[in-house]
Amino acid sequence: MKVLIGFEVHQQLMTNQKLFCECPTNYQDVAPNTNICPICTGMPGSKPLPPNEQATNSAIEIALMLDCKVIANQPIFIQRKHYDYPDLPNGYQRTSLPIAKDGFLEGVRIREVHLEEDPGQYDPTAGVVDFNRCGVPLVEIVTEPDMHSPEEARKFLRRLVRVLEYSGKVRPEAGGAMRVDTNISIEGGGRVEVKNINSVKGAYRAIKFELIRQKSKLERGEQVIRETRAFLESQKITVPMRVKELEEDYRYIPDPDIYPIIIDQSQIERIRAKMVEAPHIREKRLMEQYGIGMESASVIASERELADLFEAVASEVDPKFAATWFRTKLKKVLNYMKIRAAEIKFTKMQLVDLLKMITNKEITPEQGEIVLRIMAKKPEDPRKLISRLKIVPLSEKEIESAINEAINENKKAVEDYLKGREEALNFLAGNVMKITGGKADPREIIKKLRKRLDLIQRGESPK
Amino acid sequence: MGEVTREKLESLKSGALSIVENVHRSLDRIEKMNRDINAFIEINKDALARAEKIEKKIKHGGKAGKLCGLTIGVKSNINVMGLRATCASRTLEDYVSTYNADVIKRILSEDAIIIGMNNMDEFACGSSGETSAFGPTDNPAALGHIPGGSSSGSAAAVAAGMCDLSLGTDTGGSIRNPASHCGIVGLKPTYGLVPRQGLIDLAMSLDQIGPLSPDVYGAALLLEVIAGRNENECITLDVDKISYTDGIDEGVEGVRIGTSSKFRELTDPAVMEVIDKAIARLEGLGAEIVEVDLPNLEKGLTSYYLIVSVEFFSATRKFDGRKYGKRIEDVCGDEVLRRILRGGLISKKEYRGKYYQRALQVRTLIRRELMDALKRVDVIAGPTVPKLPHRLGTKLTPMEIYAYDYLTIPANLAGICGGVVKAGEVKGIPVGLQIQGPMLGEKDVLRVMRAFEASR
Repeated sequence: MKVLIGFEVHQQLMTNQKLFCECPTNYQDVAPNTNICPICTGMPGSKPLPPNEQATNSAIEIALMLDCKVIANQPIFIQRKHYDYPDLPNGYQRTSLPIAKDGFLEGVRIREVHLEEDPGQYDPTAGVVDFNRCGVPLVEIVTEPDMHSPEEARKFLRRLVRVLEYSGKVRPEAGGAMRVDTNISIEGGGRVEVKNINSVKGAYRAIKFELIRQKSKLERGEQVIRETRAFLESQKITVPMRVKELEEDYRYIPDPDIYPIIIDQSQIERIRAKMVEAPHIREKRLMEQYGIGMESASVIASERELADLFEAVASEVDPKFAATWFRTKLKKVLNYMKIRAAEIKFTKMQLVDLLKMITNKEITPEQGEIVLRIMAKKPEDPRKLISRLKIVPLSEKEIESAINEAINENKKAVEDYLKGREEALNFLAGNVMKITGGKADPREIIKKLRKRLDLIQRGESPK
Repeated sequence: MGEVTREKLESLKSGALSIVENVHRSLDRIEKMNRDINAFIEINKDALARAEKIEKKIKHGGKAGKLCGLTIGVKSNINVMGLRATCASRTLEDYVSTYNADVIKRILSEDAIIIGMNNMDEFACGSSGETSAFGPTDNPAALGHIPGGSSSGSAAAVAAGMCDLSLGTDTGGSIRNPASHCGIVGLKPTYGLVPRQGLIDLAMSLDQIGPLSPDVYGAALLLEVIAGRNENECITLDVDKISYTDGIDEGVEGVRIGTSSKFRELTDPAVMEVIDKAIARLEGLGAEIVEVDLPNLEKGLTSYYLIVSVEFFSATRKFDGRKYGKRIEDVCGDEVLRRILRGGLISKKEYRGKYYQRALQVRTLIRRELMDALKRVDVIAGPTVPKLPHRLGTKLTPMEIYAYDYLTIPANLAGICGGVVKAGEVKGIPVGLQIQGPMLGEKDVLRVMRAFEASR
């Protein structure tokens, strides 16, 4: 059965002012109904100001990152989309005709990109509306139905989120900033649209539920009707929307109070010249330029700031070594400490010094990880940190004596190993680590242990 | 003729007439006549205090503004902070403006005194002044007849001498039509010349605020104050401040004035007779009269009512009963409801192409036609309203009412300017001569109007 899945994704743009007035956009930081004026509350007689240029430029940049063709040198009308809801002070929402079309991301075609205004926030229980959010600019991204499974859809959505985050043009906080509508159809059934989704996880669940629902209907020989459904986050199911909401005709008209947006080619080129490299493109470039694997490149490109740090470091130390280190240790520490790459405080040079000490075998990778953890909390010169914490690699002699001690005190394990039980080696290595207080490189220890035990096996005594 | 405003202003500026006294005169006149005329629906209680303040400022050497103490009536669809902008509708009967419209800011900064809010057709939907929720307005120049609309109160107030000047709005003739019926001067500026920020919409792509005045000079002066680029809204023409009073007396020698046989087809012969005489007089003053072709002029009417209804439907969605008193559909009059329902219907997906899109095409056609004609002449002269005003209370069908607008609508559809000056009378009822000019042709329009006025 052929499955087709597409998305409409809305995300708030990071601008200082609202789309059609000069009110600030930090709606979450202030008391309700304080970031408002006659324009964004739709007072009788108020007229919009020209569309916020910062918002238009942000939407253009995002469209370019999605490989879209920006609509140049022709009027892009702002439409009024009429519907009746308490959070909509004018009784219509302003939304632009496409500002860009025909893009592509990760095997999915992007149909178009629009600019719109966010409505206010209505609390049905209290019966009150906060208009602080009303008029905050949104970018809307519409895809073709090019995804064929919930997993594919989830993967695409994650990639899209990464592009938006990379652009630096959208509001970063999770607080309901992203809104997703999805359409799902199975060959032989009608197209079902699901609204009210607020996260990637939610989208995945909604699609999974829909496919099961639609498939079982088709298998029973029933029809899947074309309809609009709402996702209920708490129950992880979709339900039909009320008939009234379906019959809605938005009666789109071009807003007579706003001149259409006209984007000229030079504006596009200016934005293109300065725009952020899209993550999927950067990922490919990292692989080619530094000769690193797909897995490392994907981890490094997951956050723009992480990739920036990698590239800064890669010019100072072996890129392949750095890549492995980023993928394993650095990412692990960041995840563990729940900090985003953008929040890293240590400098590129501090990281370079640390990596150099490891490649020069001044410290072991494990010691490096310990140092990194401390640096992530409170940036400090790694060399000073090492001397302060007295982290020094053990001398050959100290390692040898620790190995001797472990072998002498664990005769049983030695015998086991000699009989061919590989796990015994790990046990002995653990013992050596304990004796050295974790200061030795475990790989080194295992190597040395194995060598020694092999000598014993062959009946040779240690030198 | 036509020296009232100039003379009033001179005596106010010289101190021969005190500003406070001028306000008293207006208030007395309103007190005496408003019960019968019903031109004002709210009086500004702060008018006298403001007059005293301006007088004091001037006494202490402050500069007198261009409108130096003139009393101004404001149509009730324009926001004046602290006064009610009711649109003469039950929907907004308790809506007190929280901010000043930009035209109000401009006239206040030139020392105007807002004397009160004028009656009007509800939400500017009407051409007779009878659809107000606050009762109809009478015509001071022809008592017992409609004053015209929708700026009925603004025109009647000036005609009755209740205020020196007034602000009206014109979407399809709402300044020019009552100016014609009341025998005064009115001007609809070029679309985008005067700020609309703070004007409650009838149809956004057609609405324009403009002056009403007993004479051409007053209209030019008020226009001078309110016109010009506005940084505070999107749809504004990039025009610097212009003096419309300068050169107003230059006469019409050599001015090319267009007329059209189309006007005769659409107009009552009695009205046309007055207009013919007026045009002959302009010719006598040295103007060159040229016949222009306006073959599609009457098609504007249908197109206009479709466009207005769609835009009005959109504009009134905010009157949903949640924020400003009662839901509009629940309390409005028949004509407002008719337009909302019509607009809601024809903007539906299935009808868009059939009605709305076609209406926009006709609009383009009319615009081209007028623009082409105005390339051949400086202004076009003709009647304002095709027939005389009916007696108050006469029952007319909506189409009969709409037919009042045939000759004023084209200027709104084309976005050009048009002014009205009294041409004469038919059985004691005023008839206005309409002078239409190209976009930003206000200076020529006013000059022709003034030449005609001065020759009476």
